[in-house]
Amino acid sequence: MIERWNRDQVLALAPDASSQKAAQGVSAPGKWSGTGVTDDALWGECKGSGSKPYRACVDLSEPAYRCTCPSRKFPCKHALGLLLLWSAGGVPEAGEPADWVGEWLDGRRDRAAKAVTRAPKGEAGPADARRAAQREQRVTAGLADLERWLGDQIRQGIAGSRRHDQWDDLAKRLIDAQAPGVAGAVSRLGSALDGDDWPGRLLSEYSLLYLLCVAHRTLPERASEAEAAAGAGAAAGAVAGGGGAPAGLLERVRDRIGFSVTKEEVLAGQTVRDLWDVLGRRDETHDRLIARRVWLRGRSSGRAALVLSFAPTGQALDASLVTGTTVDADLAFYPGSTPLRAVVAARHDAVPAGPPPGVSVDRALEEVAGALAGDPWLDSWPVVLEGVVPAGGDLRLLAGASGALPFHPSVQTSWRLVATSGGHPLTVAAEWTPRGLRPLTTWDEEGRVIIL
Amino acid sequence: MNAAEWEELVSVALVGTDRRPLAGRAGSETEVLARAAVRTLRVRAGRRPVPAGEPPAAAAAEKQPVVPRAAADRLARILGGENPRLLDEWLRAAAERGYRLTPHLLPELLDRAAKDRSIRPQAGVLAGERGRWLARLNPAWEFLLAEATVATVTGLGDGGETWQLGTPGDRRAYLAALRAADPAGARELLAATWEKETPDDREAFLKVLADGLCGDDEPFLEAALDDRRREVRNEAAYLLSRLPESRLGLRMAERAARCLTVADGEIHVDPPASCDAAMERDGIRVKPQYGAGERSWWLQQVVARTPLAVWPRLFGRPPGEIVRMPMADWGKEIVAGWVRAAMVQEDPEWARELFLVDAQANLLAVLPREEQESVAVEFVRRNSGRNARHPHLADHLSGVAAPWGADLSRVVLETILDQCTGQPTWHTTNLINVAGERIDPALCDMAERFSPEPHIQEIAALLRFRNNMVKELQ
Repeated sequence: MIERWNRDQVLALAPDASSQKAAQGVSAPGKWSGTGVTDDALWGECKGSGSKPYRACVDLSEPAYRCTCPSRKFPCKHALGLLLLWSAGGVPEAGEPADWVGEWLDGRRDRAAKAVTRAPKGEAGPADARRAAQREQRVTAGLADLERWLGDQIRQGIAGSRRHDQWDDLAKRLIDAQAPGVAGAVSRLGSALDGDDWPGRLLSEYSLLYLLCVAHRTLPERASEAEAAAGAGAAAGAVAGGGGAPAGLLERVRDRIGFSVTKEEVLAGQTVRDLWDVLGRRDETHDRLIARRVWLRGRSSGRAALVLSFAPTGQALDASLVTGTTVDADLAFYPGSTPLRAVVAARHDAVPAGPPPGVSVDRALEEVAGALAGDPWLDSWPVVLEGVVPAGGDLRLLAGASGALPFHPSVQTSWRLVATSGGHPLTVAAEWTPRGLRPLTTWDEEGRVIIL
Repeated sequence: MNAAEWEELVSVALVGTDRRPLAGRAGSETEVLARAAVRTLRVRAGRRPVPAGEPPAAAAAEKQPVVPRAAADRLARILGGENPRLLDEWLRAAAERGYRLTPHLLPELLDRAAKDRSIRPQAGVLAGERGRWLARLNPAWEFLLAEATVATVTGLGDGGETWQLGTPGDRRAYLAALRAADPAGARELLAATWEKETPDDREAFLKVLADGLCGDDEPFLEAALDDRRREVRNEAAYLLSRLPESRLGLRMAERAARCLTVADGEIHVDPPASCDAAMERDGIRVKPQYGAGERSWWLQQVVARTPLAVWPRLFGRPPGEIVRMPMADWGKEIVAGWVRAAMVQEDPEWARELFLVDAQANLLAVLPREEQESVAVEFVRRNSGRNARHPHLADHLSGVAAPWGADLSRVVLETILDQCTGQPTWHTTNLINVAGERIDPALCDMAERFSPEPHIQEIAALLRFRNNMVKELQ
């Protein structure tokens, strides 16, 4: 039996605040009939404005949602309301799912099975090869342009750079050069301008872009040299300075530039099965597109993982990973040194949750250093800190035995975290960023997950 | 690379290598970028923990039991916006049982209490040690430290020490407990330190004397009419007007007799022409509220503070006849004054008669409990026919103490069923809300079977929610 999620965990699945509110409006037991829950399915019929009730059901193992209402929100308020009702203990256990639920579940499983057996795409044709070569040329030209531009900035001085629109042209040129990853990084440069230390932070950002240009320009050659050296029996990896094989680093560079790897390619690679703790998530809106980052950590592999999903504002985001739960799953990682981004390749049975194992502040910093060695452009990484206490004058530090880590400047004092701690050490999952931690989740003395 | 070198790189980048080349090198812009990249990564990868300073000392061990998990989850639902009007009921029920809140819910509750004083006494109990620890860290929650803790709310505790050393809230709670056990003792304890108390405390402590008020308190209260703080003077005047035999009562009776006379079976009124210092000392407010005329305002207050027993003596008739006597003028003020007097002096006989003239909820509250419901049932029956819809039924019924029994509940449900054909009006919506909050939650099955009509089912659902809420807190 899957452990019931708490109210915050359910509400965190909502696509937006208005959905959260609407869901609470349909979570009263009086609105529902024919409800039931089994090991992996939850269902019920909700009285709507029409004559026929809406039928909502949730596959708890994924989770996946379905409802007969016309809403385009996902999950819709009925599915969320039903989950809230279940969360409050208002849904009776049943031996078998209702007929209509069973049909849906079977249909889903059939489709999933078909998806696995579907034949991979055909080999790339000559037209594809020509397009690929053309893109390589454009990217190379675009990055050369960027490198020149960066040099110009430093020659002329960045004192006059405190304008938010000055990167728009450059970002557009990089989009035209088919380097969307760098274009995105350039268009986000404005975030380096707040605070008094902006010249240093802007210089850092420029220097990392420069590093990317240089890496793209020189790494392929060094990678083939390294391959040759490896072929001759020399130690591979030394060339890239110890941060993973150059080939891996090159993949990382191409990923940063925006050469995307398709999900199918990722799924075709190796997978890692583990018990993955869902540590938390953060949604970020940029240009009317919401990026959802869900952070995971494997219990036995100790690996960090990031499941990214995107949707235009107001549309469905991936809500299949519930914060505070632990899922037994196979994860397929995107290639490159310091693999982080992953997709869920297969899920197995649900497992009971509990606080994930954590590490000390020192160990977490070592881990981040290791991750940066493989990916110098890394700007976030999930950590689970064990035995830390909120500290500092405004309680925006997490203190362990050897010292403390500060919060990100934009993160307020988390009174929920302070209250849960009461000055006693606890386990906190947080997102590391170069400017400080963003706390995600903690667990209270009863082991209850508290979303921060 | 040390910090000075980084500063140097940043200032070169700010000015530009055209004007300030790096260490005399031409074309040094790429060198600046390369060195900056190395430095940036070294800083990111080589970051050390910062000194934490002295973390706050851990909160003391809790003495109260934590609320059951299901109850805490329900509170989270209420705080999250589900049936938000039940917050007060939940907090009261939980505080009465001496529970403390699950820590992670404290910030939300304390934020609410910072804005809403009415829930602070409950917050004081539910906060436990963890809440007080938080209140010392967050200035926005400092108010909590003045609230009574569970120890003093549930008993006299360690007596004199609380009175000498406790927080204002603890001292108030101690005084209240002592007042309940030994009214004279509480008054004497207060009188002994009266002069040294702060104005806020004097006001709060004086309110405690409302419980167990008796004639022996009169000299102390009469002296408080000359207090430096206006709120204290007002409170003293209010308490004295609840003591019919007080000197203040006699002074008011004299004033009333000068204003009201009877001739030919009709009441003639001549409101006070001015508000002198003596009237002001007795708690009459000079400035009218809500743009009322000055004389009308003074008249209403004088009548409200006059002992009700004065009128039958003055007019030679029982209250039932007095409230129906014709009045040439100022009738509105006189009745409003009597209504207020019946509430303050808690006089059921006057309340019963006045309710028939001016059906105010506050008058119902003065009646004995069983009578409240029977009077209300009668009132609803008279005012809920298809042709006699009373728009403010909900307001009137709010004077009947919760939980409502079966008889009143049924009549109210019938009325709602009768009124909500089609789109319910605002008044019906009010009635639906009051019914859901006041009907005894144990009657939820009755309400559910009462009618399949959605509004009745809505009430039934709310009653069930409350019924579960009460059970979870047992």
